[in-house]
Amino acid sequence: MEARPANAETDGGEQGDGVLEPRAANGPLRTLIATLVMALAFCAVGAQLVRLALQSQGEISASLNETVAQSFARPDIVDRNGRLLATDVEAYSLFADPARVIDRDEAVEKLAVVFPDLDRNALRKDLSDRSRRFVWVRRGLPPRTAQAVHNLGLPGLDFRRELRRAYPAGMLAGHVIGYVNIDNKGVAGIERYVDEVVGVESVQGATLAERPPVRLSLDIGVQYAVEAEIADAVDRYQANGAAGLVLDVASGEVLASASLPAVDPAKPNLDKDRNDKIAGSTYELGSVFKMLTVAMAIDQALVTPETIIDVRKDLAAGRFTIKDLHPLRRPLSVADIFLHSSNVGAAMLALQSGPQRFEEFLRHMQVLDVMKTEAGSVAPPQVPQRWGEIETITGSYGHGIALAPLQFAAAASAIVNGGRKVMPTFIKRQADAGVADIPLISAATSDKMRVLMRRNVAEQAGTGKRAEVRGYQVGGKTGTAEMPGVGGYREKAVISSFLAAFPMDNPRYLVFVLLFEPKATQETAGEVLASRNAAPTAGRVISRIGPLLGMVPTQAAAAGGTGMAFDAASHAKYEAR
Amino acid sequence: MRLIILGAMILTIASAFVLYSSNYDTRQLEARVSEQERAIEKARGDIAVLKAERAHLGRPERIEPLARGLGLGPASEQQLAATPDVALARALGARDGAASKKKGN
Repeated sequence: MEARPANAETDGGEQGDGVLEPRAANGPLRTLIATLVMALAFCAVGAQLVRLALQSQGEISASLNETVAQSFARPDIVDRNGRLLATDVEAYSLFADPARVIDRDEAVEKLAVVFPDLDRNALRKDLSDRSRRFVWVRRGLPPRTAQAVHNLGLPGLDFRRELRRAYPAGMLAGHVIGYVNIDNKGVAGIERYVDEVVGVESVQGATLAERPPVRLSLDIGVQYAVEAEIADAVDRYQANGAAGLVLDVASGEVLASASLPAVDPAKPNLDKDRNDKIAGSTYELGSVFKMLTVAMAIDQALVTPETIIDVRKDLAAGRFTIKDLHPLRRPLSVADIFLHSSNVGAAMLALQSGPQRFEEFLRHMQVLDVMKTEAGSVAPPQVPQRWGEIETITGSYGHGIALAPLQFAAAASAIVNGGRKVMPTFIKRQADAGVADIPLISAATSDKMRVLMRRNVAEQAGTGKRAEVRGYQVGGKTGTAEMPGVGGYREKAVISSFLAAFPMDNPRYLVFVLLFEPKATQETAGEVLASRNAAPTAGRVISRIGPLLGMVPTQAAAAGGTGMAFDAASHAKYEAR
Repeated sequence: MRLIILGAMILTIASAFVLYSSNYDTRQLEARVSEQERAIEKARGDIAVLKAERAHLGRPERIEPLARGLGLGPASEQQLAATPDVALARALGARDGAASKKKGN
């Protein structure tokens, strides 16, 4: 600004050259002064710019030296009806700047009052390193605790806002959901799927994710009903654990997947006995496997359900002898073999097909290869190295081959749904997505198997009669498998299971219940058989989830209605309150 | 000439003033925007917490004992009927009966 008049004057001087001599004599001097003033001003501005640039550079390098509090903003996880299972909430994370902490011991002692489980020595050590400018003290604090720390008034302590994963439903479906690490990054289960497929946003601070929620195929109501019923079964039959699965046999959507003892996604627990018993572990499933053997024999047109087979003689397999638990001492039809769960009969059917075709059939039914779902790989099946006669015999009734219940349920779904391949999924399918129609067995075989499974529950002689739920046409197969122990099988330690589907004229859902090491009780008449414990549990599960899934019982459907409502008596009961 | 210079100076001063005041206004608006953004951020955080709390309060594990305490129990297949026309309509009364019939069908 100062330079302008000087310049103007100089210009004026030059213009007036020759007219005003005395001014012209001063002209060069004035120009020089103006130029100097200008140069000085520019130098001052330049120096200031350099100073600012250096100063801000210093600040950037200082903040880069600190631990950058990076966190991940995750989309919500909801059930198929939109009910919340996992979400991000803002939490406070406490950090210290050791260079600014005045009294180290006072700080540690006061913090220990708020956090009784604080590792004092570790923190004292961290704080004594004055070269560090950033030390995490505790992350993910609820607002009240953060306020308590704030009230201590300790210098050198500060908070950062971070995102923390919250699981409002508690332990419900804990195994499926998985968990995240301290940086809010998915480590297991669906949480890991969210990281790998759906995507998370890397954020500084507590910025919530913008992504739409991940909609699971699970139904909270059904999941809870299954968890409650199998927990009841654990008490009732004094079992060590239990598992329950509900699968849509058409789409492969998992509506409930429960495993007890349960896990809390908020507090990951990697105990071996808390493994996911549905998809994370493999078991020899025992007689439920006969579903596959019988389906194979019928599908390969080796037999019909009416074919009579002589099962009176025990079967020798190497050094073992295969015998039936309750031998009937008469030739049995294939249907009877299924209904009475004859080991000898199943073995003879498998032998009739031969080891190679038996193995091929199992591979075709997707039980020998590793299966993947969104919640990660299903535990890989353990299958015999080579398929000889012995492996075929033991495999025919579910021994010598161990697989995850989820993988078996997928094969069983194909048997009841008309023979179509089913890929289990934990993500809700779009209504218009459609399902690939890949036939695994013929529809006629599926029809025959459905009749056999229904008879197994409907008839007095059937092993599954205690699973009957009036109006839902339940069908199924029991399995009582001895658990392998050191040097052989443990006789009284069994996995008793019941695989059911309903309604059997056009199955919609498959229910698989497994009880681990149930004890003989008065209620089970001193037995540990699946027909006494797993079958009634499956019945109770179906009775409870049927109404939740909007299934109309046959007696109601026969009365002419297609919809559903509570009957008059139930309504009157509610009215009376 | 002087008039032109004077005019230019006045114009310069006036435009500097306009520039300064609009700069000042912009800063003020920016401050308001960031304040609003902070408020939105906070509201979103609060909504997330409230949503989580609502889901936590509505979890089946908590509702079941409360419902059982009121004498309720899980619905059973025996309670289901698909004959809303006659019996249910009578039980529900004319208005409610019409509504449930619509729902049932």
